[in-house]
Amino acid sequence: MSFRKIDIDAYDEDVLLDDELCEPDPRDPAQVLSDAKQKQAAVRSTLARGDIPGALGIALDSTPYGSNVEEAKNLTLQTVVSILNSTKSSEINSVVKALSQDAQDTLMKYLYKGMGMPGWGDVSGSVLLGWHEKLTEVAGTGCIVRVMTDRRSV
Amino acid sequence: MSTPEVYSIAKTPVTCHAFNADRSQVAVSLNDNNVQIYAKQGKEWILSETLSEHDKLITSIDWAPNSNRIVTASQDRNAYVWSLSPDPLTGNLVWKPTLVLLRINRAATFVRWSPNEDKFAVASGARAIAICSFDAENNWWVARQLKKPIRSTVLSVDWHPNNVLLAAGSADMKARVFSAYIKDVDKRPSPTIWGEKLPFNTICGEYSSPAGGWVHAVGFSPSGDVLAFASHDSSISIVYPGGPVVYNIRISSLPYVTLTWTSEDALVAAGHDCQPVVFSGSEQGWGLIGTLDDVTASSASKTHGARTGTVGRLNSAAFNTFRNADTRGHTGGGDTASDTELLTVHQNTITSVRPYAYGGEGVVSRVSTTGVDGKLVIWDVNAVSALTGKMGGLRV
Repeated sequence: MSFRKIDIDAYDEDVLLDDELCEPDPRDPAQVLSDAKQKQAAVRSTLARGDIPGALGIALDSTPYGSNVEEAKNLTLQTVVSILNSTKSSEINSVVKALSQDAQDTLMKYLYKGMGMPGWGDVSGSVLLGWHEKLTEVAGTGCIVRVMTDRRSV
Repeated sequence: MSTPEVYSIAKTPVTCHAFNADRSQVAVSLNDNNVQIYAKQGKEWILSETLSEHDKLITSIDWAPNSNRIVTASQDRNAYVWSLSPDPLTGNLVWKPTLVLLRINRAATFVRWSPNEDKFAVASGARAIAICSFDAENNWWVARQLKKPIRSTVLSVDWHPNNVLLAAGSADMKARVFSAYIKDVDKRPSPTIWGEKLPFNTICGEYSSPAGGWVHAVGFSPSGDVLAFASHDSSISIVYPGGPVVYNIRISSLPYVTLTWTSEDALVAAGHDCQPVVFSGSEQGWGLIGTLDDVTASSASKTHGARTGTVGRLNSAAFNTFRNADTRGHTGGGDTASDTELLTVHQNTITSVRPYAYGGEGVVSRVSTTGVDGKLVIWDVNAVSALTGKMGGLRV
């Protein structure tokens, strides 16, 4: 009767695996984590100087994505949100316009990830929404669509 | 700058359309299992025939201009080839269907005749493309399937001018170029930039966009040396295999679901943004040129409640709001009174864009589009205006 307990889906040869749809992060997970920590330190020092665009540029560059780098992803998310929190709302527009298209798409991914975290709504909801509004004005709805379709989840 | 010709042919979405050779008739699917053929009479399109044979929704129609045959593909896993022949009883010309056994176990999503009209390709949800050719000996259509390495539904196909290569866009985020060489039907093709010596089911190239996304539409350029595809991540990619170089243009509006080349260096794409958009470029680079839908000109005629002529306090927005509420039953502000109507000509997603008229040297001068709003519109490809920040109908 043990055939009732076998996981039939594990034997399915034709299933579409997630890494067939997108390339997994080519870097080693440990390397990714140390990169994320280094970036956090660099961002802190840049923020202390008051250079928001620079800090955002560092944080959004070569972000960790994929399935086996959870800690690095959380670290990078906290780094990005700390930058967002410390930007004055009048400056958001100019900072967003100065970002490259890649950076804008990545920033939008972090905004949605932040909005999706349970409990964050009370803490940084208004900050995330404010950035979302300004980013959509600049990058358009295409940026949001790319967040939904991109399988390199941040 | 000629204005587009707008025809509201149905109250239901138009899934797909195909014109005949002289553009006097158009075959459409109104999101049901019948093919409706409309004939042009004066300035209107009148329903002339209904072809009923499919059991489920017809997803795609193609009309071969030279041999005057229609092929239809449907969610009932079948394709029919319709040809005009005299009816034995009345002697009139009627459309007679011939069933094509595709041997797929999922819906057919897209169908196109090859340039020589001796084969057609049917894309399906069965992760396969059925290439059908006519077997004169048995007097029926035979299908061979392209299966490897497609991993999900094939959403669209396009033939290369040499009648052998086929581009396919699929829901596994890849656009591929296959060889669909059928031994008895095709002569050995001369080498192209995509490769030489290509037996059936060879992959000549596999491409995807950086952010992934289902590939909704693919198209070869008129010469066949360039491939363009539109994917769901709101981007258009242009592939030069000789380079090899892939240009990926990210757009700031909703994704495109259909595209067609108008010349060797320009193409028109349309989709969820409800307006056809022109891209142009060369091997050095590609960019968005503008839209065929002049949003600014039409918006002036659509503002309600703005009266020119009355002066002073009688012309204020507040006065107009209340007057609209009183005389016309419009509640809400003067701007939102027309809230449900988009500024673009098409009021909903454009489902299909196809070349309509050719200028000199094979350059397309006009394209036709149909959409979910039931409209058929014919655009002049050269009437390009700048894309305003209004992003179609989006009100920020």
